[in-house]
Amino acid sequence: MAKQDNGRAKWSMVVDSDRCTGCQACVVACQAENNIPLNEEDIFKQRRAMSWIRIERYWEVPFEYTQHPKKPEDAPFDQVKARFLPILCQHCENAPCEPVCPVFATYHNDEGLNVQVYNRCIGTRFCANNDPYNVRFFNYWEPGWPETLRNQLNPDVTVRSRGVMEKCTFCVQRIRRTERTARKEGREVADGEHAPACVQACPTDALVFGDINNPDSRVSKLSKDARSYRLLEDQGTEPNIHYLMKVDPFLTEENGHE
Amino acid sequence: MAFSRRQFLKLAGGSAAGAAVLAACRPAVREFIAQSPVLLPEDLVTGVDNWYATLCQQCSSGCGIQVRVIEGRAKKVEGNPLHPINAGKLCVRGQAGVQALYHPDRIRRPMRKTGGRDSLKFVEISWDEALDEVVGRLSQIKADGAAANAIVMTEPLGGHLGALVSRFASAYGAGHVAYEPIDQAVLKAAIRGVFGQDSLPFFDIANSRYLLSFGADFLGGWISQVQHSRGYGEFRQGDGPRGSFTHVDSRFSMTAANADRWVPIRPGWEGKLALSIAYVIIREDLGDAGAADDLTGGRGLDALAAFRPDRVAGDGRSGVTAERIEELALEFAAPDHQPALAIGGGTAGAHTNGVFNLSAIYALNHLVGNVGKPGGVIFNPAAPDLRGSLFTNDAPFGPAKADAFPDVRAAVDRMRSGQVSVLLVHNANPVHGLPAALNAREAVRQVPYIVSLSSFLDDTSLLADLVLPSSVPMEDWADGVAEPGPGHQAVGFQQPVVRPFQETRGFGDILLTLAQELGMEAALPWETFRDVLTDGAQRLQGLNRGNVTGASFGAYWNDLLRQGGWWDSRSRSTASTRASAISLQGGDADLSGSQGDYPFNLVPFESIGIGDGRGAHLPWLQATPDPMTTATWATWVEVNQKIAKEMDLREGDVVTIESPAGSIEAAVYPNMATPPWVLGIPMGQGHKAFGRYAEGRGSNPLAVVDPDKTDRETGALAWAATRVRMVPTGRRIRIPKMEGTVLPIDFGFASGNRVIKIASKDE
Repeated sequence: MAKQDNGRAKWSMVVDSDRCTGCQACVVACQAENNIPLNEEDIFKQRRAMSWIRIERYWEVPFEYTQHPKKPEDAPFDQVKARFLPILCQHCENAPCEPVCPVFATYHNDEGLNVQVYNRCIGTRFCANNDPYNVRFFNYWEPGWPETLRNQLNPDVTVRSRGVMEKCTFCVQRIRRTERTARKEGREVADGEHAPACVQACPTDALVFGDINNPDSRVSKLSKDARSYRLLEDQGTEPNIHYLMKVDPFLTEENGHE
Repeated sequence: MAFSRRQFLKLAGGSAAGAAVLAACRPAVREFIAQSPVLLPEDLVTGVDNWYATLCQQCSSGCGIQVRVIEGRAKKVEGNPLHPINAGKLCVRGQAGVQALYHPDRIRRPMRKTGGRDSLKFVEISWDEALDEVVGRLSQIKADGAAANAIVMTEPLGGHLGALVSRFASAYGAGHVAYEPIDQAVLKAAIRGVFGQDSLPFFDIANSRYLLSFGADFLGGWISQVQHSRGYGEFRQGDGPRGSFTHVDSRFSMTAANADRWVPIRPGWEGKLALSIAYVIIREDLGDAGAADDLTGGRGLDALAAFRPDRVAGDGRSGVTAERIEELALEFAAPDHQPALAIGGGTAGAHTNGVFNLSAIYALNHLVGNVGKPGGVIFNPAAPDLRGSLFTNDAPFGPAKADAFPDVRAAVDRMRSGQVSVLLVHNANPVHGLPAALNAREAVRQVPYIVSLSSFLDDTSLLADLVLPSSVPMEDWADGVAEPGPGHQAVGFQQPVVRPFQETRGFGDILLTLAQELGMEAALPWETFRDVLTDGAQRLQGLNRGNVTGASFGAYWNDLLRQGGWWDSRSRSTASTRASAISLQGGDADLSGSQGDYPFNLVPFESIGIGDGRGAHLPWLQATPDPMTTATWATWVEVNQKIAKEMDLREGDVVTIESPAGSIEAAVYPNMATPPWVLGIPMGQGHKAFGRYAEGRGSNPLAVVDPDKTDRETGALAWAATRVRMVPTGRRIRIPKMEGTVLPIDFGFASGNRVIKIASKDE
């Protein structure tokens, strides 16, 4: 996990869980941008829906209901809380999914992106097995769209075939597009100019994207916020996504999980 | 056909020359060869894309969008960063607009029904043939003197299109009904009563420090989701201190889940709770004394004696304790919580005492004196004055208006009794949206001649004799005034971003063609609907203010379309803010069905994806997980977990939900946070038609709503005032949902490593 210092940007995201309302705008924006196959009813029933970014909903009960002999289900309905957290590929510096790939289909590029090479992938699914965040999705079926809906497919993004693993790319095609525009106009890319589809859509600005190597960028500043933490940090994965804690003024000391 | 080698070379040479010519008007060649094997595999070279600003019509919020178009195909919808309502942001429904454009079951060209009224068979015909037929029938009806019995039924339409439809209907002599399943009649009546405003105000959530909301799922589907969400993000983690938020609701909605504290309440008690809060504020002398006098008609605390906290708390009838009421009042009026903001709507207004509830809630804003101030209730000015050819003093330019429920019901009753000679329907679907007890399908069937001008064959259009398909918004012109607006005047403009994908025509254009053929040019002299809009744009230019510039009209028009609309942030409302006395009578909610026979309160709610059902045809919206249950594609019923256990119901068990007015089926989803007396059911499914993704799927809770329970003042449907019972069927399905698709990642680490981390205060 050597700190990248190659003069290139290192893309990072900040997720402010205190702003997130769970509205799912990011989820559909991602599907629209990245040619995610339609999640039809049967696919949900098989529990094989693909969603590079998803909103996890966690129930929270008062501390006493987590202690034997009480059970969480016994908590009074008006003391139950729900928490939302958007989960996407964490683009780990030390990604557990990368070393297990027998064909180097997944690797880390020099901009901090965890990249999936679809035409190398042979579908062993070792990476998904090793991924603690469950953000890798396997194409169990050949993706299909009715002929007319294919008109919407984004020509910048490969349609993945059956037997291939896929995952969040931080919308690398959008990064390249902005870089190309900036180069054509003979200028540097400005902070905030890049936005993956999820970040672009997010109505509450809970998602922020940028170059964490740039000390003046918004992600850089927010990642140093007192509320900042990373998911499953003790696993040593060095994620590139920084979460900002949800704030709850009614938090009891027992229930606290700072 | 076989090619000789010589022919092949000739052809190849010819196309190479063609390519060279074309290359001249494309970006520099080096852009195309820019590639680096080092960056594989993500070094894709993008094509040339164009972004067109237009208006989102997926709901009535009026957000501006920009659509990415490559080679004549719309690819992606994003928010228009210049637009004052959504500032570049967008919700799920807006994103999915492009799927309406390329929907596989869109009507491709005009069709005529073969067989009787109930036949599902249509044959495709040409536009000429279809127009000839409809003009012939409409002329005949007019000649027979039966034009007054014609009805034009549309979704609520604003701006020029709305005025055009009204003008068309009145020129022909027909009635016009603008129908939507969940209208805002109660909210508008309350806003008019409390603030004297005809248009909904802008709620400045971003600058508020304390938010008290009642029943309004404002982070979900309530009136202007993106506008409210933008404010909410700033409210929580903007520049100022973090805002506090308490939500009062009969159901644990997504908005309730985001609140710091959810106060569960028995359905229909919201207004009394608000007055009880007012009582405490006045008693403690915390609020604006002048406003307190105004609100109570000078009688002060005595006027509110019936709403003393212990009386409202009663013996648990309201579900809220007296201590909680005192606490909420002290918090709401606390000096360090100012500006505090109270908003109400949704289920709080969907009762027989709807206007009473919402008036009491909005009156709280007067007590803390936030009206017209940052962080409070900011009035919206009337839309710019475009009086002239289409707009008059009585019918000015403005936002879409829905007709009141009694008017819709009366129109349906006229159809049922055979008094309607012809029905022209455009994107309105009363057969799906009205309570089943009204049997709208049977009523519509009685109309001798039905013409559909919708883009999809929905439940209502399926009954049509003739279908003249209109284009979807991305192929058509329009404009719109958002309601609620952003606190100043703003007009969004909608331009076609692609050519019609099927043989469809714009709704406005179809009406203008019919008008010409029917000899109504005097009333509707325009050639195309675009001409109507350019007329309007010229009037806008004549105002000499706003964001759009251009010396000539051509330049002005281009800039207007480039920016996606006209707005003037200095055109603010100057209306006075004095409070007036509110009604303290009629506070009791009257629910349908007895508690003994029907032990649960039915709480229907709008789905985050498919809304009230108008988005049910789009697969992305069907597949959008509900925030609370993560369920998709189905109709489920949220049941309190302990009640489910008592009734031996597990997730996916199919139950019948029975009310005095009807019954539907839904699959049980046991929910820890659902009040034991509530059954929460999402709206939007239960379509008999509307394309492959909607058809025959789930059921609509509005079907079991009692149509005779209406708001006492406005007559609006009280869609949250029905009691139901739940009867197991013995069947079970697997609920299609996101939950369980992957393991939750919080797999039992020590608490220090939890996935969700909560801070007790803003650090």
